[in-house]
Amino acid sequence: MTVMQGTVQSHTVIRVPDKAHAAMAPFVLLLVELANGKRVLGHFHGASPPAIGSRVTADASEQATPVFREETQ
Amino acid sequence: MSTNVYVAGVGSTKFGVLPGRNLQGLAAEAARAALVDSNIPSARIGCVFVGNFVGGIMTGQELLGPIVAADLGLSNVAAIKIEAACASSSAAARIGHDLIRAGAEDAVLVIGVERLTGAPRDALTSAMTAAIDQGTEGVAGLTFPGFWGMVMARHMHLYGTTREQVAAVTVKNRKFGVGNPLAQFQKLVTPDEVLASPPISDPIRRYDCCPATDGAAALVLTNETLAKQYGSPAVRIAASVLINGPARITDYDEITTHDGTVRAAIRAYEIAGVGPEDIDVAELHDCFSVAEIVDSEDLGFFAKGEGGPAVAGAPSARNSKVVINPSGGLLSKGHPTGATGCGQIYEVVMQLRGRHPNQVPNARFGLTHNGGGTAAAVTVHILETSR
Repeated sequence: MTVMQGTVQSHTVIRVPDKAHAAMAPFVLLLVELANGKRVLGHFHGASPPAIGSRVTADASEQATPVFREETQ
Repeated sequence: MSTNVYVAGVGSTKFGVLPGRNLQGLAAEAARAALVDSNIPSARIGCVFVGNFVGGIMTGQELLGPIVAADLGLSNVAAIKIEAACASSSAAARIGHDLIRAGAEDAVLVIGVERLTGAPRDALTSAMTAAIDQGTEGVAGLTFPGFWGMVMARHMHLYGTTREQVAAVTVKNRKFGVGNPLAQFQKLVTPDEVLASPPISDPIRRYDCCPATDGAAALVLTNETLAKQYGSPAVRIAASVLINGPARITDYDEITTHDGTVRAAIRAYEIAGVGPEDIDVAELHDCFSVAEIVDSEDLGFFAKGEGGPAVAGAPSARNSKVVINPSGGLLSKGHPTGATGCGQIYEVVMQLRGRHPNQVPNARFGLTHNGGGTAAAVTVHILETSR
């Protein structure tokens, strides 16, 4: 179930992580503006980030950080 | 009635890789130099404030205030550590400034100190991310190169800032570093070397990042009476501002404009009675090359989006004279986090005395800008020459 929809404000690829995220790196980090104006940090299904302005969605998850994917038309 | 506040003396260690030195020893070296420079007897010091960020995490040493005071032979002072991440010692300067201005103290010793080198890179990254809200953004894996990588990607997207313009910041500050004996890096880099350096957090590359640095810097702050009594080479603090900004990247309305810097600068200019066009020399918080561009806009030197063209040589309508980071900045002089704020004030004081190795001719007003966390604790100091 989709729980979050928003627009990519910016992105990076973390290649030098802190100790807690060493096993994940490199990984995409997104700053997403949700429809209600709230901003969240999210991970991404993919090795390269979507363009700024792209629409992204994330499904319901137990994880603290949402994992986004590009919205399909 | 409030009094004018002066930087009566400054001292600094070399900034760089200083193996075998501990925090206490570095802090005491810088403090003794500042006391000698000020000509004020140490018995007149009422407070010792030690700005330090990660001494506990990196070295296991805390309670730096009383320990350093004891090493200096000061036995009857208020001595504490002050922490505001990378703005720790400029925040300490603001508190010292306020105590003197209010008449509560005659002389305050402000020290900044840090040891960051020699640790594994992931340990250093983890220590730095102590200034990221661990409950919300640390868990996502955000780092400071990550924060600034996002700022850089969006600045390029919104304003057309180019990769080459951002690299020009590093090239410029390395050139200044070569002229500053205190600087960690004494070697030029080319734009191509910046662009070919390993990626850290896209689009940020290694030469876009300040180094890990050890070092200490210190200031003696005092009032007009003591400065005159002891003939200190005093420089007046025209404004000392500490203000908070968004403490999480998700709290920003727009990550390419740093509200804390904007508000600190506006308040500092109001207090000092000058504007950005009056500033001759600025030491600002270039922890990453793109940060100098963002900061130079938010401090009012250039309009938003014009910081990139300005560093690449385009003339500015707002301020065509300001020389930015002639010390080499954090990028070349180095960034011993807790020491950086005092180090910036040291540099500007030397400029305003006319004794800097990279002297800005006839410098009258100097500005320092120091930011902790996601520009979450921001200081701006404006200093005025007595010459």
